[in-house]
Amino acid sequence: MSRGAAIAAPRRGFVHALRELRRAFNTNITSWIGLGVFLAIVLFAVLAPVIAPFDPYEQHIIDRLKGPDATYWFGTDAFGRDILSRLLHGARYSLVIGSVATVSAMIIGSAIGIVSGYVGGRVDLAVMQVMDVLMSFPSLIMGLMIVAVLGPSMGNLIFAIALTAIAPFARIARAPTIVIKQRDFIEACRALGFSDLRIMVVHILPNVMAEILVLGTLWLATSIRVEASLSFIGLGLKPPIPSWGGMVREGFEVILDSAWLSIFPSLAILLIIFALNMLGDGLRDAVDPKLRGGE
Amino acid sequence: MNRMLFGALALGAALAAHPVLAQKTVLNIGMASADAGKLDPHLSATTPDKALFNFMFNGLVRFKPGSMNPETIEPDLAEKWTSSEDGKTWNFSIRRGVQCHHNYGEITSADIVYSLQRAADPKRSGFSSDFKDFDKVEAVDANTVRITLKNAVPSLLGLLTNYHGGNIVCKKAAEEMGENFVKKPIGTGPFMFGQYAPKESVTLVAHKGYFRGAPKLERIVYRYIPSDASRDLAYTSGEIDMLYGKGEQVWVERMRKLDNTIVDVFEPAEMAVLYLNTKMKPLDDIRVRQALGHALNINEVVQFKGAAVARAAKSVVPIGYLGFTDDVPLLKHDPARAKALLAEAGYPNGLTVKAIHTSLPGMLSTIQVVQQQWRRSGINLDLEIVEHATFHAEIRKDKSAIVQYQAARFPIADTYLTQFFHSSAIVGTPTAVTNFTHCNDADAEIVAARSEPDPVKQKALWKTAQQKLMTKVCALPIYENMLVWARRANFDFGIKLEGSLNLGPVVNELSHFK
Repeated sequence: MSRGAAIAAPRRGFVHALRELRRAFNTNITSWIGLGVFLAIVLFAVLAPVIAPFDPYEQHIIDRLKGPDATYWFGTDAFGRDILSRLLHGARYSLVIGSVATVSAMIIGSAIGIVSGYVGGRVDLAVMQVMDVLMSFPSLIMGLMIVAVLGPSMGNLIFAIALTAIAPFARIARAPTIVIKQRDFIEACRALGFSDLRIMVVHILPNVMAEILVLGTLWLATSIRVEASLSFIGLGLKPPIPSWGGMVREGFEVILDSAWLSIFPSLAILLIIFALNMLGDGLRDAVDPKLRGGE
Repeated sequence: MNRMLFGALALGAALAAHPVLAQKTVLNIGMASADAGKLDPHLSATTPDKALFNFMFNGLVRFKPGSMNPETIEPDLAEKWTSSEDGKTWNFSIRRGVQCHHNYGEITSADIVYSLQRAADPKRSGFSSDFKDFDKVEAVDANTVRITLKNAVPSLLGLLTNYHGGNIVCKKAAEEMGENFVKKPIGTGPFMFGQYAPKESVTLVAHKGYFRGAPKLERIVYRYIPSDASRDLAYTSGEIDMLYGKGEQVWVERMRKLDNTIVDVFEPAEMAVLYLNTKMKPLDDIRVRQALGHALNINEVVQFKGAAVARAAKSVVPIGYLGFTDDVPLLKHDPARAKALLAEAGYPNGLTVKAIHTSLPGMLSTIQVVQQQWRRSGINLDLEIVEHATFHAEIRKDKSAIVQYQAARFPIADTYLTQFFHSSAIVGTPTAVTNFTHCNDADAEIVAARSEPDPVKQKALWKTAQQKLMTKVCALPIYENMLVWARRANFDFGIKLEGSLNLGPVVNELSHFK
């Protein structure tokens, strides 16, 4: 038996945490709806090259600004491009940008939060003050500043959105770390000579994972919204890439004549954000001890 | 009787005081730009700025308001003029009693000399190349100006209209303010500078001492509203009375359906051209430039814009300009040929070309159509989209491989050829104007045509110049777009609007609300 196994009892562990989460999650129907809708959107995005009726870039000038009909289910835009096809392909960009930015922020932010909480003292104070400064900027404003300086590209968008999300992850990881590090099993780990890195990765991280995952779900929605907002104000992906925010913007120019150009991408943004928020709320309720009447 | 008179007067006063019933004297204009550029008529060539200068400045002569036919040129600040037989010496008698804005005094020969010398100075003007054949501009007396030319100029009067360098600025104001002149431009026109709110508006006020009579309008509020939809909404909600239109048939048809609205479609047609930088890779290879030309489908672009507002361009000089010819090798739409040329040039899998482009909606939509046409032939056009004023600044630094430029000039081949294709106009050089192509193949013909006294030979030289430039594929002409504006039907320009070289409607002392 290893030394680690001897003190395994106090920690919940990944499997245990996920099992607990699933049990609580099962009781919340809205979470399942959110998850279902989100997975459906992901599926549509993955299958976009197969199921999209047209090339999202192909212009049919003669059919420009056509309303929804049997050929173009969601109508066409000012260049005669099929809106449904652009929506399906646009989902890929929104999801990739949103998820890569969120996962990056989740990894970096959690690492900062756990280290800061674990080390404590002046390091903790300094790190948290920097995080406070970062959090004082609304995510859209921060994203806007970064993209305006670096220029609009997919990489810069991901970087900008990720940077805005690091601070919340750092804070959510730090608070439980401070509590956990004072518990007996951590003391035992130290007494057994475990390295700080091992204690943080193997013994603290699993205990804060549920909270981080919940925040991740909610931030995925925020990331997608920020990307759409930046695209709407012209700081998103370059034309002709079909981003949802960019499509709303393009539609806005002809909203008086052809409202569907903006309506469908707006509905898509609304749907995915609703789905992710429902999912995130369900997860949050599941991990919140007060709400599930535990501990 | 007295009581009735009193009642009538009281009613009249009440009507005049009522904001709705009183005759409207403030004209609110919506312009498609995020902000003003440089508010100096010798520095700015952007459409939003030029349309504004139109209300503020005079030239020595002017086109008949509402026209851009050179045959209608008439006296403006000059009452009359004479020229020598060889066309190299011109004397202009300056109108007396013309006042500069904001009490900068009466205009004299000294102002005219100063202004023309300023316009000819590359350090203070973007149009200096227009004046390179000027030898001397001198004041003979307080009200006579003499212009001596090195060579006869195809249309000297065209250079002296209230357009580009021909706009007369007041000497005292320009000297006093120096670089700050852009913050408070001073001219002699019917409206003078009032206030500038960054990214919002420029307000002009009536120049009561205008020599043709006080304007009927009190103020013009020139608002910067870059979004087409926002501008349209501002119009339909009554916030603005006149607006820069989207040069597309769909827009024209929709606006014509609105109540109390007139849509003005007028000359000049601005020609949209893709200028190809022949010194920048990969466009330094003529096969790549030819491929771009063959991949371009001009008819599709015209179809996109709509026949009511657009027509296909035929040469590097706009249709109808003196010296224009369509006897040039225009590349036919042939995507297969484009792919073959690219393969020949070493790009069998296609290539990417980067270009800086304006966010101005009308131009942006055009380039997106072109972008897709090129994509079909394996050419990826990577656009860096910037605000319109930034676009103008960046392309003049020779930073873009392809420049889509939409312009109208004095309707004579020489102006277009000189500004866009003569070596002296190459961007990034001290005498730069708008030669984004670096082509100099037609220099000899352009220069020779300027001083050619025989009109037939002159036209032949311009024709050869166009043929050389098109053969070398220095540029790809796309289409010509008429100017489109809309206004309230009860707003009367006071003139018949058929054309305006300054690319905006003519609002002068006669313009009023009915």
